[in-house]
Amino acid sequence: MNKLLRFLIVILPILILVFFAKVLLIDEEIKFSNFEKKNFPVFQLNDLQGNQVKTESLDGIKLVNVWASWCITCLVEHPFLTKLSNNGIEIIGLNYKDTDAKANAWLQKHGNPYLFSMYDPRGDLAFDLGVTGAPESFLLVNNMVVGHIQGEMSQSKWETIFLPLIQKARQDL
Amino acid sequence: MIVRSLLVAFYFFSLSSPAFSQIVYEFENSFQEKRFYELISEIRCPKCTSGSIASSDVPVARDLKKKVYQLVLDGSTDEEIKQYVSERFGDFSDYRPALRGANYFLWFGPFIFLALVLAIFFVKRRI
Repeated sequence: MNKLLRFLIVILPILILVFFAKVLLIDEEIKFSNFEKKNFPVFQLNDLQGNQVKTESLDGIKLVNVWASWCITCLVEHPFLTKLSNNGIEIIGLNYKDTDAKANAWLQKHGNPYLFSMYDPRGDLAFDLGVTGAPESFLLVNNMVVGHIQGEMSQSKWETIFLPLIQKARQDL
Repeated sequence: MIVRSLLVAFYFFSLSSPAFSQIVYEFENSFQEKRFYELISEIRCPKCTSGSIASSDVPVARDLKKKVYQLVLDGSTDEEIKQYVSERFGDFSDYRPALRGANYFLWFGPFIFLALVLAIFFVKRRI
């Protein structure tokens, strides 16, 4: 009995330490590995050229990237997005709380990695998606949101979070 | 002269007062108002480190408050409003997460742990 108690007294704090270390150190993986799939919200928005966005344009495997001309971190991830789009990843922009003039000027200046950008000046669609700010990225498979990254997209986030999801989706499709 | 310049200073000072930057929410009755202020202090701001949306003025918290305000006026229940928010922003948005799935551990973990420690304590004392 005494032995068991001693064992418990030693092992319990270790278990607790391991538990918290796990949660604290690999929070990103945990946070996104149990992402609940949900349907892409119903929306009615134009693109930055003023044409209405068709829901069918979100079919297949698409990366939806929330950006704005006022968003500084968006500039940080911009080269990586460009690289992705050059590698054949289809990226759709969600222009968030911006004006179309400023957004178009921004694309002109920095280059446009997007197939097109949905223009969401009030942030309606962004709200329904659960966007907390810019930049954020969502992975869509046939109109289902299967992954979500907050903050700037990077090589490591891409490889650990989105790439496995894309590979799985390609097998399923 | 001094009084006048003070008045001018006061005028400009009052222009910059926070009252001008606040959005004013108007309600049909005080019950709605009370519910609104309770709800916004119970919904976690998705952009802040554990502050409520009541405590924050980031765009997403402002949008959330506006939405909660509309839903309160439309007559949604507290449960419906929290459900609406957590559907979009996840369980994280509620300071009192729903009792399901992994949240059981969140709710009862501390009590289980306390019971374990107490059990060990009493057993140990008997020896």
